[in-house]
Amino acid sequence: MEGLILLGQGIAHFLTPTSLFNVIWATLLGVTIGILPGLTATMGVALLVTLTYKMAPDQAILTLMCVYLGAIYGGSRTAILLNIPGTPANAAATLDGHPLARQGRAGLAMGLATTSSTLGTIVGIFFLAIIAPLLSEAALKFGSYEFFWLALFGVVISGQMTGSDTPLKGYIAGILGLLVAMIGMETLHAYQRFTFGIPALGGGIDLIPAMVGAFGLAEILSAMKRKAIAHVVPVNDRVVPRLKEIFQYWRTIIRSGVIGTFIGIIPGVGEDVGSWTSYAAAKRASKRPEEFGKGSQEGLIAAETGDNAVVSAAMIPTLTLAMPGSAAAAVLIAAMLIHGIRPGPMLMVENPAFLYQVVAMLLLATLANLVFGLSLTKLFIKVLAVPRERLMAVIYILCVVGSFAITQRMFDVYVMLVFGVVGFLLREMKYPMAPLVLGIVLGDLLDLNLRRGLALTNGDPSPFFTRPISAVICIIIVITILMSIPAVSKRVRSLFSRTRADGSPARG
Amino acid sequence: MDDHTDAREEGVRARADLVTALVLVALGLAVIYLSWTMPRLEARRIHPSTIPGLVPLFLGVGLTLLGGLLAWRSSRIEAPGGWRDLVGVLRTREALRVGVLLALALVHTLVLVGLIPFWAAAMLFIFAFIMVFETWLNEGPADPVKSLVWALAIAVAGGGGIYLVFERIFLVRLP
Repeated sequence: MEGLILLGQGIAHFLTPTSLFNVIWATLLGVTIGILPGLTATMGVALLVTLTYKMAPDQAILTLMCVYLGAIYGGSRTAILLNIPGTPANAAATLDGHPLARQGRAGLAMGLATTSSTLGTIVGIFFLAIIAPLLSEAALKFGSYEFFWLALFGVVISGQMTGSDTPLKGYIAGILGLLVAMIGMETLHAYQRFTFGIPALGGGIDLIPAMVGAFGLAEILSAMKRKAIAHVVPVNDRVVPRLKEIFQYWRTIIRSGVIGTFIGIIPGVGEDVGSWTSYAAAKRASKRPEEFGKGSQEGLIAAETGDNAVVSAAMIPTLTLAMPGSAAAAVLIAAMLIHGIRPGPMLMVENPAFLYQVVAMLLLATLANLVFGLSLTKLFIKVLAVPRERLMAVIYILCVVGSFAITQRMFDVYVMLVFGVVGFLLREMKYPMAPLVLGIVLGDLLDLNLRRGLALTNGDPSPFFTRPISAVICIIIVITILMSIPAVSKRVRSLFSRTRADGSPARG
Repeated sequence: MDDHTDAREEGVRARADLVTALVLVALGLAVIYLSWTMPRLEARRIHPSTIPGLVPLFLGVGLTLLGGLLAWRSSRIEAPGGWRDLVGVLRTREALRVGVLLALALVHTLVLVGLIPFWAAAMLFIFAFIMVFETWLNEGPADPVKSLVWALAIAVAGGGGIYLVFERIFLVRLP
């Protein structure tokens, strides 16, 4: 009941002209960023932090949230009309969205993508409002031991699930991120590590310039590597879908929403994984799996519900544990800290209204997406025609401004350059970026809690393994790592498929 | 044709992975050395299990092991001509485009910023970027006059716009 009152207050809090104005421009900007291939949600949020940092804290986070959600949604337009995912989250949407468009049903595809994005966000919001307070209460009981394992779990699971080539590269990216976090003054004894006598390194590497490099400059380099020649499919049919067209797939919507929520809760595993996983699940459960990949409406709905549910659900670990649920959420954490909001278990104690304000922000953002998505079709198609050569030049200048403005040091601009070049090389070699980001964010948490835990027991590591929650997380980590070894996972899988063949038949 | 290109790309990837893996192993070993020799703060009587070098040491060991594993894995992949193709990647048009972009960015950020006002540096960068990629490095038919007009317009609007929006409206200081 108290939660509902707080939620009501959260929504009422943002029903002011200033807030609504911010929702409108930030959503339009977010959708535009999403539509433009080569500009991603994370990049958009990272660049916008600069612009919002003189704003009031709640308005700043509202703006960033609208950009984030708008970009993830906007990417589906490009997926449908160009067969290029506007952001990595919309890759699964190309599989059925583009075939639908080529069959002359581009309007229907855009309408379905828009409504299912909204529904996905709402499913995610529902779980955010329910799970976050509970998790936050549970997390109050966590000590150093649990937080150490949680941080390690975040990096390991993110490495495992986002390593597109092999989990090995995901793990390596995670370790590299953790190593970056080791630079500078450590918090237990105030000793400066790996600074090599450079005073600017004493404070460590700031997340925002690193993210602007890894997601801004690196993406400019990737996008400009070759000239994109794309053909926009014309839109001749109705965009606003009929209710029946959507709700005949209610099972798919709920399933994809729940899968997206689950993926969102896992730290550092973002929208792209959510979208692919719910697409695969929808195909398995579908009565017409043969249509998938040839213009299945169900497939498009699953993909777009899944990725948007991730955005809302990613706020669960972000707000309650200060562990980013996605790469863009890592930037949001940095932005919250800049504005004096401290995410983590104490948030519900110190500032319980904020959680419900975030719920309200997501609700407003998704409604704005729905309204603009169904009404401004022509305008958004025009955005697709902007040539990259002209856009990326301006984006680079924004990267320089974005990394400089927070602390006003040229050092941060150099950090951006280094992360841009290294990030580009790592991307080219198929190393995922999410574990790297998670490593940078969680490195300090991991280091501090391991050594603080050991200091409490005078060097005895046993509580790390004997306390119940610690033991459970530790076992999950071990299983995750073992499952990423091909020989082990093959054997385990064959074990399960044998039992299934002998016993109950597979669903479908 | 596609199979051939795929196999070739895989060969290049395997050799590139091997090179990166060796770099990672070297980095891992360097981290191990630096963490091992990091002061243990005995004078402050801290517990030996809380020394600053503890976690970096673990990370160094982890990086060395995983790098070694990647090196071993990629060295076992057979890729005839992989090394030659890997060097060939550096001579492609894509590499040239990336190189030119980086050069422009570095000249702007390391040389021009600080030497001339930020808005001027931004305008120069945007102008040069658009002209280079729409004429010299353009893959399709180029129209230099049209590009020149656009480059000038976007440089003035973009560079000036960023200056006005950040410095004047949002009161953010620029380099």
